[in-house]
Amino acid sequence: MSTSIAKKLLVHTYMLLFTMPIIGMIIWYFLSATLNGTTGQFTLENFNFVKEPIEYAGVVLPAIWPIVLNTLVYSILIVVIEVGIAVPTAYAFSRLDFTGKLAAMKFLFLMRSFPGITLIIATFFILVQMNLVNTYLGVILVAITGSLPGRVYIMKGFFDEVPWDLEWAAMVDGCSRFRALMKVLVPYVLPGIGAISVFSFLGAYGEWFLFKLFIFDDNMLTLAGYLSRLVTKENVILNYGLITAIGLFYTIPLVIFYIFTQKIFLKINMGGAKQV
Amino acid sequence: MTLAKKPYKKPLAKKMYPYFFIMPFALLVLVFFILPAIATIIMSFTDLNASMKINFVGFDNFKRIFTDYSMPQILWNTVLFAVITLVFSLFFGLFISIATQYFLKGKLTAVIYRVLWLIPSIIPAVVYVTFWKYLFDPTEGGLINKVLLLFQPDSDPISWFTKIAMAIVIIATIVSTTSGGMILLSAAISSIPEDLYKAAKVDGASEKSVITKIILPSLKWPLMYITISDLIGFVSSYFFILLLTNGGPMRDTTTLSLYAYQQAFNLKYYGYGAALSLLVVLISLILTLWLLRLFDFDEMIKPSRIED
Repeated sequence: MSTSIAKKLLVHTYMLLFTMPIIGMIIWYFLSATLNGTTGQFTLENFNFVKEPIEYAGVVLPAIWPIVLNTLVYSILIVVIEVGIAVPTAYAFSRLDFTGKLAAMKFLFLMRSFPGITLIIATFFILVQMNLVNTYLGVILVAITGSLPGRVYIMKGFFDEVPWDLEWAAMVDGCSRFRALMKVLVPYVLPGIGAISVFSFLGAYGEWFLFKLFIFDDNMLTLAGYLSRLVTKENVILNYGLITAIGLFYTIPLVIFYIFTQKIFLKINMGGAKQV
Repeated sequence: MTLAKKPYKKPLAKKMYPYFFIMPFALLVLVFFILPAIATIIMSFTDLNASMKINFVGFDNFKRIFTDYSMPQILWNTVLFAVITLVFSLFFGLFISIATQYFLKGKLTAVIYRVLWLIPSIIPAVVYVTFWKYLFDPTEGGLINKVLLLFQPDSDPISWFTKIAMAIVIIATIVSTTSGGMILLSAAISSIPEDLYKAAKVDGASEKSVITKIILPSLKWPLMYITISDLIGFVSSYFFILLLTNGGPMRDTTTLSLYAYQQAFNLKYYGYGAALSLLVVLISLILTLWLLRLFDFDEMIKPSRIED
């Protein structure tokens, strides 16, 4: 018995050792944002950015609320468009027969494992030719093309699970194919739609790279793009209090969102394990 | 009679119906995936630059890759970054999943450890890097310099980002990518039936042989998947490096893919950048094929001879 306790102790020691930096990191975010850098006293002055435009590295930053609005508009647009395209595509791949379906599915699989980031230079050139640089439309089109293969793949898994009988029953009762999809199948795959909405939202909320590349107007940035500009502005971060305060302002809603949606993640993880 | 023999021919409207469903997706893929892929190949044969004029130069860009004097360092950086990050994130992923799913199975502490390890990958990258910037800050405001100054009050703060930039980038990437492997490995370990452990215990097997004979063999698939996808990720993406050091100091943390990005977007040599991107794709492809061979992919997809 004592050897098993010693073993547990050993495991805990190692695990605590490995986990320490992460615990330290979490504590630091909160301390850095709420303590005064020089006196070490509790203060909320780092959060002044919610009330007034503030200055960082000698430049007055754009006000935060329009940026929050941009973030919400961009994220919701991405969710709506990705769901709107992924659901019919996954339905076709799961339920309909058409020439080239097998090839298309192989291509989808290849796209998922292809390092899409290597195409960004040519994508930039194409956006310039299409006059879509510095527009939301350009960012959205590039962003959804990168993430849609994954969404379609998850969604197809959900459609595959629905028994055919349901659709047949609906069509025998006089539904058209499309009506059967909307009235019978969609309610059945609602958890899948929920899951891909969550993934799309998280992806859009964290997107900073495409904003760095394709958006030159500071007033069009989202929170992630805004923070990435601040973090990379100088070689050294000049005011950690301010940056972590904005970071917390940006991250805490995300953590709350995670807590409420974690059940969906569990479902997907199990589904994924089954498919592999 | 003849009417019944006639095979059913789908009307054209019905044949076109499925394409209507995949049309938006197909269009997007065509314009923003296939077109850029073709454009990358074409651009790599041009000297496209800030003037945006297409001018074919044959294989000049590829010749330039071989004569580029910073190439040896960049390739070495890429290998160093990809291999060290992969080895350590696999090791930590394995260690944590075995610790939480075997030694501490079902315990509350196991869940806490796993949730804590998930946090670095949940936190947005732009927020995550601020911690590492603070930890290794070159002024006396940085955490490590602060601690060092406590012990040696009269020493100068050390400029970590010029001395060990690559190590910082690697550590930050390891801590954030470990959780991806951890999730898959934990799922695989938790699906091992409890009876196997019990049988091993009855036979007097040591913990070491339980791990090497029961747990590790069942992790071949997830390990292969993680190795391939992580390795391609480390070779082709550069998000953390871009945020942490931007490839500096000098080219100390520039990997091949980041070099392509810098050539294209900082120096506006789009043609040369595209050629470098092609090289990244080629390396990823070779790595994937080589790893599939190494892991004995053909052997693994053969049906099992014991079950059924």
